[in-house]
Amino acid sequence: MNQTHTAARPQPNVAARNAARKRRQITETIFWYALLLFIAAITILPLAWTLLTSLKGPNDAIFAVPLQLLPKDPTLDNYARVWKQLPVANFFINSIIVSVATTTLNVLFTALAAYPFAKMKFWGRDVIFYLLLATFIVPPQLTYIPGFVLARNVFQYYDTLLALIFPNLATVFNIFLLRQAFKSVPNDLIDAAKIDGASELRIWWQILLPVIRPSLATAAIITFVTSWNDFLWPSLMLPTMVNKTLPVGLAALQGMFASDLRATAAGIVMTIIPILILFIFLQRQFVRGMTGAVKG
Amino acid sequence: MTKKLNLTPYLFLAPALLVIGVFILYPIFAVVYYSFTDFNIVTPPVWTGLKNYTQLFQDDVFWLALRNSFIYLLVTPILIILCILLAIAVNRKLPGINAFRAIYYVPVISGSIAVGYAWRMLFDTNGLINGVLLSAGLLQEPIQWLAEPALTLPLAMSLTIWLGLGFYMMIFLAGLQNIPEELYDAALIDGCNAFQKHWNVSLPGLRPQIVFVAVISSLAAIEVFNEIYTLTGGLGGILNSGVTMVFYLWKQAFRLQHAGYASALAIVLLVITLLFSVFNIRSLERGSEQD
Repeated sequence: MNQTHTAARPQPNVAARNAARKRRQITETIFWYALLLFIAAITILPLAWTLLTSLKGPNDAIFAVPLQLLPKDPTLDNYARVWKQLPVANFFINSIIVSVATTTLNVLFTALAAYPFAKMKFWGRDVIFYLLLATFIVPPQLTYIPGFVLARNVFQYYDTLLALIFPNLATVFNIFLLRQAFKSVPNDLIDAAKIDGASELRIWWQILLPVIRPSLATAAIITFVTSWNDFLWPSLMLPTMVNKTLPVGLAALQGMFASDLRATAAGIVMTIIPILILFIFLQRQFVRGMTGAVKG
Repeated sequence: MTKKLNLTPYLFLAPALLVIGVFILYPIFAVVYYSFTDFNIVTPPVWTGLKNYTQLFQDDVFWLALRNSFIYLLVTPILIILCILLAIAVNRKLPGINAFRAIYYVPVISGSIAVGYAWRMLFDTNGLINGVLLSAGLLQEPIQWLAEPALTLPLAMSLTIWLGLGFYMMIFLAGLQNIPEELYDAALIDGCNAFQKHWNVSLPGLRPQIVFVAVISSLAAIEVFNEIYTLTGGLGGILNSGVTMVFYLWKQAFRLQHAGYASALAIVLLVITLLFSVFNIRSLERGSEQD
């Protein structure tokens, strides 16, 4: 990459050296592509094989020596079988409801909380903030035992989607992330608005939120993906089949079709496809969002 | 600043603090209380003092789970090394490099349950792995990957690593792109080869990312559940070979209805994550003193 910087001294045989350098660059490029393709294969192969398996009919071997990867007679029968046995459409709608509601309200609540931590002076600020940070190390599974009791006896939302939304309405990670974003907004902007007589809530909504939009997108994406793929807590809360979300439904399917690899594969593909489509459309935001979180 | 107590900041904080108070802070105190009781999660808890703890320390499965959880922490150094190498590989201006980065990211968003079940199929006796090995003549007999106790943890750990590659790679990539180009030029002028260049410039430059990944991935390793659940079909593996702290907590609390006992387990787990984080933060501070 950087060879050009070193070639400042005059050299004999410039032409020969240039040719050698060019050859080396081509070899290097081929090496890197080979490596990148190899890693891509490792990344994609398990999922690609699952997709191919899901398209195989009963006469297509899953397991054969020598290997048979492609379905000879591709069919959607496996999908139809899963669709008939399980309320997949309900799983999908439930997942959408939970993820959208959780993400919207979580970003709203954490953006509200992050603002005073970044820009206001008040009694107890640092104590509250460090207490919040300390909860970061609490394993979520610890909270599930009391959470279960709360869901059944106090909030009465056991076996409803509310049980998945309420406990996730605020996350310490998002408060921390958005606090960093608010901190980087110049104070002049807020002072000028105050001189104009704007209330704190209006400053927050009309001036600050538009400025920190990239960070809001990051927080939203992280929350959405986490919520979409959440499994353990939803599996405890949703015993009734039609109430389940996609990952919990997939686990139920795996129990029913344990020996039927084709149906299991179809279920896996149906679970991954929605979030994969979202990823393809929002690829750049996804990747930037996830990495932006670290600097926070 | 005005001396009068201004309510505005507290109003901004109220919704989030309420949620965290009810769903994280209150549960800590509740779990401490439950850990001293006999509790089946449905009928009211009955005080039994230290019984759960004395029983826990005599429980072979608890010690096995503790051991397994510590073994699981090995994913952290492996992830750090692999993902730094991967980030260096994708940190170059080649046509199509963004497509590669996106592909490496697919497992991250696919979710550990779906991917876990895909792996379960892959390592099925009739799965792709045996198919490839047999077709290539590397095996005479299919291996029972999922039924071999010695393989449960390594398989789950490989799955965790495979799921995390793209995510941690992106973090290191962002770190690499923040390192000023001049530092690499200086290293070249000093006569560093490619390896020395990364050893002397990239690694020190990535220190904040390394600390971040160490903290996040080791917490995730201690809290691992989905990989074990999918690969062992919810059973924890033969002879409890895949039972980790969190898996055992779940099994005791929600499969066997021993919520009091599971609470004692949860408290031990909390103490471990606490000690671990203190250790992490202290090594972080030591690191920043050096810089």
